[in-house]
Parts: sequence; structure tokens; C-alpha cells
Amino acid sequence: MAGTFDPCVWCEEVLQPYLDRELSETERAEAQAHLDACGYCSKRYRFEASLRQFVRMAAIEEMSPDLKQKLSELRTPLL
Amino acid sequence: MTESPDTEGRQIAIEARDRVRFEEEALELADQVYRVARRLVRTQEEAEDLVQETYARAFRSWRSYTPGTNLRAWLLRILTNLNIDRGRRAQRTPDMEPIEEGDYYLYNRLEETTRENPDEERVIERLSQDDIVSALSEVPHDFRDVIVLVDIGDFSYQEAAQILDIPIGTVMSRLHRGRRILKQQLAETAVGEG
Repeated sequence: MAGTFDPCVWCEEVLQPYLDRELSETERAEAQAHLDACGYCSKRYRFEASLRQFVRMAAIEEMSPDLKQKLSELRTPLL
Repeated sequence: MTESPDTEGRQIAIEARDRVRFEEEALELADQVYRVARRLVRTQEEAEDLVQETYARAFRSWRSYTPGTNLRAWLLRILTNLNIDRGRRAQRTPDMEPIEEGDYYLYNRLEETTRENPDEERVIERLSQDDIVSALSEVPHDFRDVIVLVDIGDFSYQEAAQILDIPIGTVMSRLHRGRRILKQQLAETAVGEG
């Protein structure tokens, strides 16, 4: 139905700004009130938060000791 | 009036000290710089080259760094510029202009294909590290650069905007859209095409 406000649709739209702490106080409180009452949305919010952690962990690859050595060798030699 | 040899000697000593300090501080950040570099390009070799070029340039132009400002952002700015100049950014796959799905899309797709009553933990366990890495590499580079800086490099929007020399509003819109594209890629990798 056109013009009908669906809080779950709205919550999906503000998921990222919510987690990024970009929402205004009022918007944040509105989202929070909905999340406290809605299992469907709160599950998806928790998933998003875990996903971000997971992406971070998965995407991190440490540099090789070789490279570290090469970078040190780029330093200006002390006279 | 010419400077006495003593003054001149002192100047050289001070400059040498500042340079050593700069180089040490820059090298302490190398792990963090590499993590970002590794996800901006396709291969480990490219990431290593990029980081070496970045440090070579940084050590040459250390005088243009203002002490007390964000050195990590300064290094990343050199790095992203080099990366763009050399056209090394991993190219987007040609057919990648996905229909944009909402932020619940990935969860919904994973939930649909999980048998027992899924909780968030169980749903996320269905993704592997390889899934994440390959999905991220499929995100078009303009979007990926921002995701990598903010979500992996821990840079603020403001810092990311300065590093990439784009407005902060563009950082936000690329980040939001990029994360959606990433989730869509993950859904395709983990569950298959809808």
C-alpha cells in the first residue's frame, strides 16, 4: 500500500547509519524502540554487527618478515 | 653574515635526528599500511611492491610531512595515489553493475538456506574467510577503496575523504553502497545466485 509506513523497511534503511552512529538522537531512539520490539530486525542488526567484525578478521593479512626487512633497508643510511 | 660552522653542524644534526624519528615512526606503522594495501590490490606481490614504493617515496619526501599530524593517513595518501597512478587497482568484473539489494539481503539469503532455526552466529558460520576475500575483491574499486580504509584500516570518514581527496558525503554514500554490494557478492558466493 502506497504511503503506509513500514517500520521494518525503515529500519533496514537506517541499519548502516545506526551502526556507524550517524543517526540523530531522535532517529536513533526511534530505531531503538523498534529494535527492542522486533525480533526480525534485531536479529538482522546483530548479524550485521558480527559480519563487520568477521569481514575485518577475514580480510586482514599480515605482511611477510621479508617485506619488513626490505622496508628497513630503504632507510637513509646514517653517516 | 654567514653561519658559523658550529651552527651549521647543529642544523645538520637536528635534521638527521628528525629524519631518523620520522623513519622510525613510519616503519612502526608498516603493518597497518600493509593490511590496507593488501586489500586494495589483487595479489600479495602487488601489495608488497606498492608498500615499498610508498615507503621509498615517503622517505624521500619526509620534509613535506608536518610533525604532529596523522602520519598513517599521510602514508596512505601516498599509497592510494601511487595505486591509482599505476592503474593497479584490481579491475571490476565487466558485468558488475548489480541491482542494489537492501541491507537485510544477505541474512535473508543465508537464512533461507539454513535448515534448522538459524541464529545470527550460525548464519555467519556459513561464510568462510575465502568467501569474504573473494567477495571483497569483486566490489568495484571506488567502493572497495572506501570499505578498506574505513572498515579494515579504521580510518574515520574525514580521514578517508582526505586520503582519497573526495568529499565526505561521497565517502559515506560509497561506503553504504559498497557494503551492500559486498553483501550481495557474499550471498552469491555463499548461497549461489538467487
